[in-house]
This record gives sequence, structure tokens and C-alpha cells, in this order.
Amino acid sequence: MTINETFAHYSNLFIALALVAYAVAFFAYCAEWAFGSRSRLGAKAAAVGHQAAAPAVERVLETAGGGSSGVTVLTRIADEQEEPTIAGSSLRAEAIGRFAVMATVIGFALHAAGVLFRGLAAHRVPWANMYEFSCAAALAMAFAYVVLLATRRRVRWLGLPVTFIVLLTLGLAYTVLYTDAEELVPALHSYWLYIHVTAAVLSTGAFGVATVATVLYLLKSASEEGKLPRLSGALERVPSSGALDRTAYRVIAFIFPLWTFAVIAGAIWAEKAWGRYWGWDPKETWSFIVWVIYAAYLHARATHGWKGRAAAWIALAAFACVMFNYFGVNTLLTGKHSYAGL
Amino acid sequence: MTEPLNDNDGTERFSTAPAQAADDAVAVPRLGGAGLLRWMWRQLTSMRIALTLLFLLSVAAIPGSLLPQREIDPTKVLQFYQAHKSWAPILDKLQLFDVFESVWFGAIYCLLFVSLVGCILPRSFAHFKAMRAAPPAAPRNLRRLPVHASFRTAAPADETLEAARKRLKGRRFRTAASADASGAASGAWVSAEKGYLRETGNLIFHLALLGILAAVAIGHFFGFKGARLVTEGTGFCDTVASYDTLTMGQAVTASDLPPFCIQLNKFTASYETSHDQFGQPRTFDAYATYRATPTSPETNVDVQVNQPITVNGTNVFLEGHGYAPVVTVRDGTGRVVYDGPTNFLGMDSMFTSSGAIKVPDASPKGLGFQGYFLPTAELSGIGMPYSAFPAAGNPMLLLIPYAGDLNMNGGESQSVYTLDTGKMTRLDVKSKTNASAGNALAMTVGETDTLPNGLGSITFDGVRQWAQFNIAYDPGQPIALGSAAAAVAGLLGSLGIRRRRIWVRVTEQEDGIRLVEVAGLARTEGATPTAEVTETAEALAAALGTVPNEDTVPNESLDDQPQRTTDTRTGASA
Ligand code: HEM
Repeated sequence: MTINETFAHYSNLFIALALVAYAVAFFAYCAEWAFGSRSRLGAKAAAVGHQAAAPAVERVLETAGGGSSGVTVLTRIADEQEEPTIAGSSLRAEAIGRFAVMATVIGFALHAAGVLFRGLAAHRVPWANMYEFSCAAALAMAFAYVVLLATRRRVRWLGLPVTFIVLLTLGLAYTVLYTDAEELVPALHSYWLYIHVTAAVLSTGAFGVATVATVLYLLKSASEEGKLPRLSGALERVPSSGALDRTAYRVIAFIFPLWTFAVIAGAIWAEKAWGRYWGWDPKETWSFIVWVIYAAYLHARATHGWKGRAAAWIALAAFACVMFNYFGVNTLLTGKHSYAGL
Repeated sequence: MTEPLNDNDGTERFSTAPAQAADDAVAVPRLGGAGLLRWMWRQLTSMRIALTLLFLLSVAAIPGSLLPQREIDPTKVLQFYQAHKSWAPILDKLQLFDVFESVWFGAIYCLLFVSLVGCILPRSFAHFKAMRAAPPAAPRNLRRLPVHASFRTAAPADETLEAARKRLKGRRFRTAASADASGAASGAWVSAEKGYLRETGNLIFHLALLGILAAVAIGHFFGFKGARLVTEGTGFCDTVASYDTLTMGQAVTASDLPPFCIQLNKFTASYETSHDQFGQPRTFDAYATYRATPTSPETNVDVQVNQPITVNGTNVFLEGHGYAPVVTVRDGTGRVVYDGPTNFLGMDSMFTSSGAIKVPDASPKGLGFQGYFLPTAELSGIGMPYSAFPAAGNPMLLLIPYAGDLNMNGGESQSVYTLDTGKMTRLDVKSKTNASAGNALAMTVGETDTLPNGLGSITFDGVRQWAQFNIAYDPGQPIALGSAAAAVAGLLGSLGIRRRRIWVRVTEQEDGIRLVEVAGLARTEGATPTAEVTETAEALAAALGTVPNEDTVPNESLDDQPQRTTDTRTGASA
């Protein structure tokens, strides 16, 4: 089938527009950080937050009608609503932050359209070479952030680092890795491309978001101990280390089964294409390494003396391996997966 | 099961992992042989060792991706040996060219799996028991749990508890009640737990890993795989001798190979001719004919990448392709000493291919040609000709001829793609058609070049293609697939299900009013049932009616005095 050049052109246009929207969002997030101010609420939660157990908070519930239901609730679980926010008590920063979220969502929509039209242009999934993988992984990362925004309101602190990484990835793809929309090489003529690579790309994006939370966690927990005085002003306004750690864990725990599935789907495809489901090809080896290190992370969180920072470093090591599996293996090592179309 | 509340640091234990004292590792007990063994076993099956072994496993896999591996590409290992003569043997001693078959890699995963069995089997039994046991009795002080909701009611205790039990059971909690449900002053309770499947999932996941290991072992033992290059117009039958490489499991004998024959009639490839991906392959088709047994009828097939054919239960895959220039070599006496295709190996995306033509029996001297095949030769004015497109548009052979002893009887195995020129002399030739080829023959199809010193001549007759077929049989595969599916399912349960407990207690207050307390505890991380507890309390309060609170907090003292806020929302939010 021939390439639909019009759609290919639309795709490039949408990606360029998405870059602009993400850039606007990025600067807006920067402004939110700059104009935000410390809120009293935030300071309180930050002060207590790094204790594993928050102090008991008691509240009397009301009925829908407005009267007292007579039920008194006592919790020791830190409430997300009481975590500090980037904007803090500054209304201006809050407005800028909301604008940034809007710009991110618009960027995401344009980005998704760019990826979609690439697929329509080539009549196939739009992730079959490094340019397309990069666009798709950045999209997955933005998607993970948008999903978190949609389900749990208080994750705007992720906006600045996430848009930064998305911009970087997409910019790199657009300027260095770009290649025209084309048909597939025979090695990729398989419906497993849809299943395996989609799962892998989604996992990569989500692991990226978890990594952002992990890095912030390490900074914040150091700051809570009085280290990093230079950053303490900024770090006061990100959620408590406990909340950051929880976010990182939740994302990893959510996406680890998908990554497991991606590796297994790859093995099934390898069996269909090459006659063996596992052959320690460099891509397979590094996917295995990534999987084992994330498994180690999950173990570490259940192991005495390894919770917290040690586990966080393991998660960072795992993501370093994700990156190497993508850039390193595709460009430095040769193996059966060498059709990245670089 | 350990008592969930761990008072010394004020947090509940989230993990269902075996409880580990902080000091269990360092001190080796002085207990003699049996004690030492027990201690070692406890160490091996501890989470800390599992963690360490997981790490070791990932680190150990790294050299396998950076160094060439015999299992994957023996030719690369040979090349590495030649490039790094001094330390390649040392790396080889350390089994770094066979990482995934090495003793140390095997040791790590064996220990890991022993640890896994030692850890998971006891847990499975414990869990099996826990699955059938009743949830534990309510702790004495429910206010110390992470979430606690209370209200005062005039409803009788047994009615309250029955309503609570019904509600929790309806939400698929497993429930138990105190023996005395009549509402004595001591406080009667209902205890409920949910999310047992989390542990079930965790155990299934770990056991499934054992299944995958077993599948790999079965494949190693009872499976085989082979590879064979087939030039157009030729074929082979499935016998041990006919493979270029063949690995058979210990339990496989030559007679176990199914007796099929396959012939490659024609190989076609198409390539991108425009845009950024100029020269990238688009289609490969190997048109072949096979017989399932020597006597069965012939079947014509088109083998493609990703579309193997199955013959007699064995899969045949199209794995690679390349060119085989056809040449005729005459020696000094005019005799035809070589006539036919020689397989060359593609090296780059434009299919510049390298290979060697070996004619040891020529007289007066053995002849050899080392060089390149260019499918679409581009003749630049300066520099060597190069290939500009992977299809055979303008085929050219660039050959450097040698004469002498090809060293083929030495017993040392030689790559078919390179010439051992140690005992040969290079012949001084000039290309007839292409000055830029330097001291090499640059031949187009149909061309004949004579060699100097009356050593003979070579004719480039034409080009054929070859295809590499891989043959694989692995009886472990269905087990691997089943185990992998079980692993994913187990993992989803293990990471997705929240395990938590809820208790409801009724305590008699003064003058016929009763305090109803609902409290919850996470058994796994992040599972604190704040919403469930508040909703249960609200539903019970609505059903049973409340008595206004006189602002008397039950008079058990708390370490930290609660802050009081009035929430304007209904329900809890965390
Ligand atoms: C083959 C190597 C292993 C792999 C790939 C692996 C992987 C995993 C994964 C991904 C989890 C997360 C699921 C969860 O949190 O419930 C997990 C949990 C767990 N693993 Fe393993 N595991 C391995 C070996 C072991 C061994 C040797 C032990 C015992 C010493 C062990 C004990 C546990 C326990 C107790 C949990 C549950 C932790 C919790 O309750 O939060 N695993 N494992």
C-alpha cells in the first residue's frame, strides 16, 4: 500500500504544533513554580508528612442534607488534600498552573493526532522506527500524566518535569531521529507489532513518570532531613516524601504487569519469527534486566531496611536500564532487533 | 500471621512478606552443624538474599549483551578472538562468551530458585490455612487503627452487629463474630477481611516462574534447533549431516529428526526505492517445495518472515538471505576445477557481501579468492566501487586472488567466508574495466579474467540467492506459555488487589446508649480502607439511627491528641 503523503504531512504539522503547546505548558509550569508561595496548609503537612504515620485527624461527617450524620471519623492517613502544592496560597500561581494543565492537555491532543496521522499515512501502527518510538513513548508519558490528573487531582507537581522530558524526547525525535513515513520491513509484518510494541511503549512512558516521582522523592526526603538547603524553598511546595514515594510505587506497581506482558508478547513473537521464544538477543537481555530490577524494586519495598531511599535508587537503576535498552541497544549493539530505522 | 499492629514505630506492617527482625542477618549462631545449616537455609530464603540474587542475576546478564556469544553468533566470537588475541582466552576461561550457559550464571539462578521454593512453599501452606481460618479478633483499642469511625446509637448490639456483618459479607468480606454477640459491656465485635486473592496471586506468580524454568529445561533436553543456508535450486533433507549448525537436546537422537526434505526454488526480495528509507527491505519470499516424508507428495509453499511453515511438527523459519555469485574457475591446465554458486554474507544495508571462493585442488597451485559481491555496483571515479542498492541491479564481484596452500587439511575449522592466506601469495592483478578497483578483479556478469603466471582463469557466470532456514522443535513451549500467562494473572492479582481488615465493635455506654466503632487496617501497602470504613459507619448510622454526640471522646487516652475539624464534604476523601 502506498503512503498517504497528505496524512504524513498532517502528522508532521501536528507534532510541530504539539511541541509548541508543550513548550507553552512548560513555561507556564515554570511560572507557577516562580510565582507560587508557601501556603500555611502546605507547611503543616510538609512538617508532619515525612513521619510514616500522620497524626490523627478527626472530623465529623455531615449528611447530604447538611446536618450532622452523627459519625465521627478519625484518620491517621495523610490526606492528599493537605499536601502542599506548587502554587501554594498564590492565586496567580494557581491560575497559571491551571493554564499549564490546559496547555498540556492541548499539547497531548495535538501529539496524539500527530501519532494517529502517522499511522493513517503508513497504514500501520505508528511505532516502527526510532522516530516513531520516541514520539509514541513521549505520548505515553504525557498520557500517564493526563490519566493521573484525571483520576487524582493533585499531581500538578509532575507537570514541570514531565513536560520537560516530553519536550526533550519529542524535540530530539523531530530534529535528529526524523524519518519519513514508510512501509514496514518484513521483520515487522506481524500483528504482534501492535501488541508487543504498544505494551512496551506504554510501559516506557509510565516508567518515565514514576522516575520523575522517584527523583523528586529522593530530593524531598533529603530536604526534609535538612539537606539541600538551596533547594528547600522549591521543595517545600512539592508533596511530602511519603506521598511522592507512594505515587512512584503506584505507577510502577500498575505498569509492571504490563511490562511483564510486553516481554512475554515479545517472546511469543520471537517464537513466531525466529523459532525460539528466548535467545538472549541484546534487546531481550536488556528487557530481562529491566524486568528483574523492577522486580527487585518491588521486593525491596517489602524488605526490612530496604524501603524508602534504597528502593528508590533501585527504581532509578531500573529506569537507566530502560533508557539503555532503548538508546544504547538500538544504536550500539547489534542483534535481531536491528531494524530501528535510524 | 503476625500481629498487624507494630507499635514501636507507630505504623502498621504493610507487607505480607515474612516478618524479619532487623538483626537476623549478621550474627552467626554458635549452634553446631544442624544449627548452622538451619541458619544458612533461613538466610537463603530471606527476602534480603532474594533481593541480592535478583541484582546479581541482572548484573550477570550484562556481559551477555556486550560480548559476542557463541550460542547466538559463533562467527562473531571468532572475529573477536582475532581482534583481541591477548585477552580473548581469558574471557573465554571466565565463560564470558557463553554467559547464559556459564556455571556462574547457572549458580545464581539455581540459588534464586532454591530461595524461591524455600520462601514460597511455606508461604503457600500458611496461606492455605489462612484462607480457611476466620479473620482475627478485634484489637482492644480500635482507635489506634489508621482509620476509625464511630457513632452513638440506641439500637441493640446484636442488631447492629448483624447489620454490619450483612453489609460486609455483601461486599465479599470474609467475616467472623465474637462469641458473645449480645452486646455485653466488654464489647462484642464483627471482624472482616478481604483481598486474600492478593497473596494467592503472589504465590501463583512465583510458582509460575518455576513453571517457566521447567519449560526451559524441557526445551533444552528434548528440543532441537538447526540452521541451514539453501541456495536457489538446491535443497536438503532433515538429517544431522545436512545442517550448518545443529543443537540437539541430550534426549534427542539423530533418528528423532523428522524425515522431511525441502528445496528452495526461488527467493525474491523487494526494497524501498524512494524517500528516507531507500534500500530498506519490504518483502521477502522464499518459494520452496517440501515433502513431509521422502515418499509423501510435494507441497509448494511461500515461506516468509513471521510466517513459518510446519512440517511434521517441526517449524521451518525464514531467517536470513544473501547472494551467491556463480563462478567457473579453470586452473593452469585449463581444467574446470570449480563451478557453481558460493554463498556470500551480507554486511550492510546495501547488501555489500563478503565471501571467499576456495579452490584447493587447482594445479599447479591452489587458488583462493577473497572479496566482495556488490548487488548494484556504483562506479565512482575515485575510490572502490560500492553497492548503492540491495537488489541485484548491476552485480559486480571484487576479488583479490591468492595462490598457494589454503591450509584446509589442518583440521582447524575455517570460516567458509574467509580465506586463510597465511601460506598463500597474493596475485598481482589489475581490473580490466575499473581502474579504481586497484589491485583487485572487478568483474561484471559474463566477464572472464585470466590470472597471472599461467595459473588459470575465473569467469563470473551469474548470481543466485540463498535463504537461511531455521528449524526448531521445542516441546517446552506450551508449558512456558501457560506459565507466563499464569505469571501475568498472578501478578495482576498480587499488585492490584488490596488486602484489608475491618472491625466493627459495639460497646455499652451509660443508660442504654451504645457506641459503635468501625475501624480498618491495611494488610498491604496503600490499602487503608478509609472510604469503606466511613461508608460502613454512615450506612449503619443511617439504618440504626444515631444519638447526638455529647462530645465525649471515649476516655481511653491517645498518644497524640486529635485535631478536630468539621468536614463539609460527605464521606471521606483520601
Ligand atoms: C525468580 C525470582 C523472583 C522474581 C522475578 C520475583 C518477583 C516478584 C515480584 C514482581 C513481586 C511483586 C508482587 C507483589 O508485590 O506482590 C514479588 C513479591 C514477593 N516476592 Fe518475589 N520474586 C522472585 C523471587 C522471590 C524469592 C526467592 C522470594 C523469597 C525469598 C520472594 C518473595 C517474595 C515475597 C514475599 C513477595 C511479596 C512482597 C509483599 O508482600 O509485598 N520472591 N516478587
